[in-house]
Amino acid sequence: MDIGRPQRIIEIEPVSLPVPSPELPMPMPEQPIHEPSPAPTEPADP
Amino acid sequence: MNSTHVAHGIDVEASAEPIVAWRTWALTGRRDGTDLLLRPVAGRSRPWKPMQAAEAVCKHTRMHVSPNIGCTCGLHGTHAIDILRRTRCPAVLGRVALWGRVIEHDFGYRAQYAYPQLVTLVCQFCFWQWGTHGLSPNVVGWFPRDVLMPLCDAHLELARRYGMEPRKLLPTDELDLRLRETYAIDPLVYW
Repeated sequence: MDIGRPQRIIEIEPVSLPVPSPELPMPMPEQPIHEPSPAPTEPADP
Repeated sequence: MNSTHVAHGIDVEASAEPIVAWRTWALTGRRDGTDLLLRPVAGRSRPWKPMQAAEAVCKHTRMHVSPNIGCTCGLHGTHAIDILRRTRCPAVLGRVALWGRVIEHDFGYRAQYAYPQLVTLVCQFCFWQWGTHGLSPNVVGWFPRDVLMPLCDAHLELARRYGMEPRKLLPTDELDLRLRETYAIDPLVYW
């Protein structure tokens, strides 16, 4: 997937995070995610 | 939003409002439809964990903060749906909030942090062929490696004919609701 050329950088510090607050604490450590650019693929025949 | 300065020849602005963009995900879960996780459609990247902001990291080089202007790293979102029709194995279509450092491109964004906001299950074959005209899957097929694939009746039949037999079929409505409950988000109602 080609999203074109970079146009601008936006530094966003939200007043409130768009993440729901869990009712119960979840014991999952935060780990960064590597996400390669989704390369276009031909739709495969099912 | 205020323009603050210029870096790498590109304007740098500041904002307090997250950007909302389009995105697709792959979906995994157990045979019984539990432990649902949204995953990037490309590569073998880590899942987006429920109730936690996804944070980008660059695996090409850990020497820069992701997203980097000279790299392709970052959590992706797009301005329009159509560009997503050629992503690999989309199972979920939705709107995603992006924040932190966000690089806007011609057709989308790369962000430092993200969390889904609205989602719906899609039949990937319908989505590839017709975009948002005919997305409604009738079942969700469970495949090896916990891959979940929403399919309409016609494409389930076609998949079977080509030897892609799901090990189990799960009800779409139940999976859709469970996914939204897992991430505490709302349904995408687009068409």
